[in-house]
Amino acid sequence: MIAIDGLEKRFGQVLAVRGVTFQAPDGAVTGLLGANGAGKTTTLRMLSGLMKPDAGAITVDGIDVVADPLTAQVRMGLLPDSRGLYPRLTPREHVRYFGGLRGLEGPALDERVKTMITKLGLGPVADRRVEGFSQGERTKVALARALVHHPRNVILDEPTNGLDVMSTRAMRELIRRLREEGCCVLFSSHIMQEVSALCDRIVVIAHGTVVADGTPDDLRAQTGCENLEDAFVRLAGLEGDEPAEASA
Amino acid sequence: MSLARAGVVVRKELMDGLRDKRSIWSLVFSSLVGPLLIGYMFTAIAERQRGAEEVKLPVVGAEHAPAFMEWLGQQSGVEIVEGPVDAEKAVRERKQDVVLIIDKDFTDKFSRSLPAPVKLVADETRDTARPKVRRVRSLISSYSNGIGALRLIARGVSPTVASAIRVEDVEVSSSQQRAARILGFLPMFLMIASFVGCLQIAADSTAGERERGSLEPLLLNPVSRRAIVVGKWLAAAAFGAAAVLFSAALCTAIMHRIPLHELGARFRFGAPEVAALLLLILPAAFLGSALVMFVSMFARSYKEAQSYLGMLVLLPMLPGMLTALMPMNDRPWLAPIPILGQYALMNDVMGGKMPHAIFFAIAAACTIATAVGLVALTTKLIQRERIIFGR
Repeated sequence: MIAIDGLEKRFGQVLAVRGVTFQAPDGAVTGLLGANGAGKTTTLRMLSGLMKPDAGAITVDGIDVVADPLTAQVRMGLLPDSRGLYPRLTPREHVRYFGGLRGLEGPALDERVKTMITKLGLGPVADRRVEGFSQGERTKVALARALVHHPRNVILDEPTNGLDVMSTRAMRELIRRLREEGCCVLFSSHIMQEVSALCDRIVVIAHGTVVADGTPDDLRAQTGCENLEDAFVRLAGLEGDEPAEASA
Repeated sequence: MSLARAGVVVRKELMDGLRDKRSIWSLVFSSLVGPLLIGYMFTAIAERQRGAEEVKLPVVGAEHAPAFMEWLGQQSGVEIVEGPVDAEKAVRERKQDVVLIIDKDFTDKFSRSLPAPVKLVADETRDTARPKVRRVRSLISSYSNGIGALRLIARGVSPTVASAIRVEDVEVSSSQQRAARILGFLPMFLMIASFVGCLQIAADSTAGERERGSLEPLLLNPVSRRAIVVGKWLAAAAFGAAAVLFSAALCTAIMHRIPLHELGARFRFGAPEVAALLLLILPAAFLGSALVMFVSMFARSYKEAQSYLGMLVLLPMLPGMLTALMPMNDRPWLAPIPILGQYALMNDVMGGKMPHAIFFAIAAACTIATAVGLVALTTKLIQRERIIFGR
């Protein structure tokens, strides 16, 4: 369960995030939808505890992220915007490293590493150095190590970015499985199809603020558009006419 | 905040570092340079010294002073050979180091107890010739003194009358201290090894981490930031320490093969000396790696870090050059100053004067404390948003 309330972040003169408020419940997939530069990644960075908000509150399972980021991180598994792999390590070593950092050791660690390698279909390349891996393989490795501790809250920043059709389908399958396991899944995307295919709830962010929050049906009703993509374009204020919502 | 997770980081960084060709190369390079140069320097000096003792002396006009020539020929290592026709040209063109010319009036003046003229042709600006010239000059003067004394005795005068002042050379430096002057470069090479050995891995685990964008995922783990930095620091220090150990082992091996006694130095480079040097240098490896990490943390990329680190390598070198040129013996009170203190104490060790154990402890404590301070600063840096996300 993730709750974000009145989040603000300023970079110099620019107010990048202005009062973002939404909740992501357990056992559901919440999509954070927004155009490039809308403030999705900044919001997720503050959620991860690595960036301090200028105002607002974030809690993960009731733990205050700003006050106690390390405890909150125990409850989270986060695939960041930058996958950041170590070229000289193998996928297995990546997963093992993060498992070790999470305090896993001995047979428990071996077991989790094996599970994640199988779960993400990394078996054939598990012992090859990641140098030269495809974008899809890199994302899988990054995801495997981010989820090694079996987190209850899974946060994915643009998880399907740069993936081919098969990898995208595998990713969707994984997200659905996480929901079935009762996890709170929050993922960001700028692709409408992606979000509509998976999400129970959609939070649309534009110009650093939440412009819509609800089920896909709610969004259609709110905008009067049958097509979700049209709804998104209208909500995000991408039509060209300077939208009232964006400056609000 | 437990530091137990630092072990996980150490293992990963060591594994990563051992697979990095650049890290391995800097480790090998930094541990080879010292031993190779020391070996070369010693061999060159030993050869020159041997050259001075075994003098092949070209003499022009040897027939004018047969008794003198006979005496010279009897001195150990001296061999008289026929001199060149144009002595000055031969010396100028470096065909000869020194040529002795006996004047044809030698016998005449000698027998009348007048100063018998000889010419010593030499180029004093040539370092390689200098020991040989000095030897020849001292041979001539001891012959001259000996004959002079005999003449005084023959006239019933004590030879002591002719010496208004008697100079007695009292050499204060022990032969080990003399060798220390030559060996003054060894501490510098070991110090450089401690810095350069860890350079690549320390830069790769900080600036490299930023460049790859792997710092953000790393910090998403609920591990104290101090544990992460300490882990990286210990891994880098291990590389620096390994470079020092390799370098010291090679230097010891090389020095055992070199005929040090020919340098006029009964130098012992035994286990106690090696242990003392390592005790002084190994803490420096911790400081070196902490410093490299701190500086590299500011760099967005590995390349950028390298441009900063080029300057940093001067840090362990400059005091080393200073102490090599201007030996800092007997100044153990420098111990609290990192690097400089180590150099001062190493100079004493090399000079055969083992400093008191307390100074080793002070030097190690102050150096490690400085390193810990830098690690604390790096821990602050690694949490800055601009450093985590700024690429």
